[in-house]
Amino acid sequence: MWTGPWGYRESLAVVVGLILVAQSLQLIIGPFDNYLLYQPGNYLVAGLLLLLSVSSVFFQRLRLVRWLSGVHLAVALIAGLLLFSLIMGLTPQFNRLPDLNDQVPIMKLGWAQMTTSRPFVMLYLLTLLSLGLVTFKRLRRFRHNTTFIFNHAGLWLMLAAAGLGAADRQRHVMHVREGQVEWRVFNDQQEVLELPLAIRLNNFELEEYPPKLAVIDRTTGHPLPPKRPVMFQIDPEKTRGRLLDWDISLMEYIHRAVPTEGGYREVPMPASVPAAKIMAKNLKTAEMSQGWITSGNSMLPVSALSLDETRVLVMTRPEPKRFMSDIKLFTQDGLEKEARLEVNQPLKAGHWMIYQHSYDEQADGMSTFSGFELVYDPWLNILYLGLIMASLGSLGLIWRGRSRPSTKSGS
Amino acid sequence: MTWVEYNWLAPVAIIFWLTASMAAFRGKTALADKAQVAGIIVFGIFIIGFWLTLGRPPMRTMGETRLWYSFFLATAGFMAYKHWGYNWLLGFSGLLATVFAVINLLKPEIHSITLMPALQSIYFIPHVIVYILSYSILAVATIAAIAQLIKLRRGRPDPKLYAFMDNVVYLGFGFLMLGLLSGAVWAKEAWGHYWSWDPKETWAFVTAAAYLLYIHLRLRDANQKMTLLTLPLAFILLMITWLGISLLPSASGSVHVYS
Repeated sequence: MWTGPWGYRESLAVVVGLILVAQSLQLIIGPFDNYLLYQPGNYLVAGLLLLLSVSSVFFQRLRLVRWLSGVHLAVALIAGLLLFSLIMGLTPQFNRLPDLNDQVPIMKLGWAQMTTSRPFVMLYLLTLLSLGLVTFKRLRRFRHNTTFIFNHAGLWLMLAAAGLGAADRQRHVMHVREGQVEWRVFNDQQEVLELPLAIRLNNFELEEYPPKLAVIDRTTGHPLPPKRPVMFQIDPEKTRGRLLDWDISLMEYIHRAVPTEGGYREVPMPASVPAAKIMAKNLKTAEMSQGWITSGNSMLPVSALSLDETRVLVMTRPEPKRFMSDIKLFTQDGLEKEARLEVNQPLKAGHWMIYQHSYDEQADGMSTFSGFELVYDPWLNILYLGLIMASLGSLGLIWRGRSRPSTKSGS
Repeated sequence: MTWVEYNWLAPVAIIFWLTASMAAFRGKTALADKAQVAGIIVFGIFIIGFWLTLGRPPMRTMGETRLWYSFFLATAGFMAYKHWGYNWLLGFSGLLATVFAVINLLKPEIHSITLMPALQSIYFIPHVIVYILSYSILAVATIAAIAQLIKLRRGRPDPKLYAFMDNVVYLGFGFLMLGLLSGAVWAKEAWGHYWSWDPKETWAFVTAAAYLLYIHLRLRDANQKMTLLTLPLAFILLMITWLGISLLPSASGSVHVYS
């Protein structure tokens, strides 16, 4: 061992040694602190890695450089990352750990917050180095190595953006009232932060699915059967159905109703509720019940249908089908954008992305505010570049498979 | 075109696909090609007709997404089979496409169960299909590795089997990475961040790292037995990623657990 070019044994020894050192460091001085990577720290690290990778091209004669960009070290690093991500997968992870005195050993090792644990960070940075070196090593014969380069460079860019960019990412939730403009959010310490962008909520819309019916036990208030309650989905196109012991007929359904003399009528206002005129026939006793049922809301009362002495038919609150905010965004740079935000349809403005996050769920259609998630990530474009490259690399793998058979083991 | 017509068209497509698989196994490539394409066309006709009737792409209910699984598994599997010439690829993908088509035939209740808003995304179907393809291809690699381990025990590992295994792992890994990357793109659109080390994501990474380990071990003189053992081990990790997440205590807060 250690004489001649370093192979698997030496690489494993070095990586295991580094893990032990990093792990000891973790136990002594605690986790890796992100503040080291705040801008410009992360740019400097990325720049240094790139510099080392580019210059390595001129030092290929050095055994050290060949080892750092070689397969043996790559295997050891992949195995190390596999081990630690496996631990991460088996250990509940915490965003915030309790005080040092209250921590269990796994927390002290850093394993309950693996992304800040020193061994993981060490492996991550070494992997970045190895990837950078090997990419530039093969760059000279680009045509012959396209899939290789796309995969390795793509991965480098993604790991750099995700890992080094982590310190600069910001995430906030902002509540804006209809008709008003907001630019402030609360941070984790309940302090007010003023952001460089402002949102005006012009309109909030909520669409709901038709609600469901359930049978509840009057004495307990719980839906039946107790262990696994059964629900009946109201579907205006299906006027008959079955719920437990009852044959249910949907005589009339109004999605947005208000009460009137002896019933309900359609009035699509924010305070309206779904209402259904139901006839329920007990299949065992032939007992019939008929009446209007509604789930109610903060302004209108619930209306249920009595089935027998112990059981009542109720309507659940409808689930959201779609909610949308019509907003105008203003940034300090003078950018103005209008958008209709929905789940899965965020708005991109510079390095910010704005998502429809939530609304006042207690108030349903009468929600007075809309919740937006604002995410800032200046490294996102680098990530997407790496992602596209890695995707092309994956297509290369699919298309070509292993195009050059190995001349060494097993073939 | 509605679900009623599906009851007639789906069995026709299924018969075509099963015919194609059997023909492929018997080496009758011309028949296999024609039958598979016929099945894809029949299924495609249903989807287009359904789309026109609904007035929107059929992507909103569980039953509707299963339609796309069948269609794309049959199509992508066919393309991979044509490119690589592996008979079993056609059989596998045809069988998987049939499974989803049959689910739709036997469980009409899922036709109208609506997807939750977070799943109503154009990334949903590609993400799932690519992973299904990857998992089935890597299963074949695992079987090949076990066969090779047995041969190795007897002192006669087969070089052709090594070459086959390598190709298949590259193919399966390529799809695996496409699944992971499409998941990241979708996560950014839906949840604000492309990677939050959610248990499912962590285990997807673990699985990818395991196959990456095999790929790299095969490049340089590594112990054959150890190298071959990585494949069954990687497959166990894959199964945990796919099915085992809901059972792990660390995963109860995962956004991927729908209960």
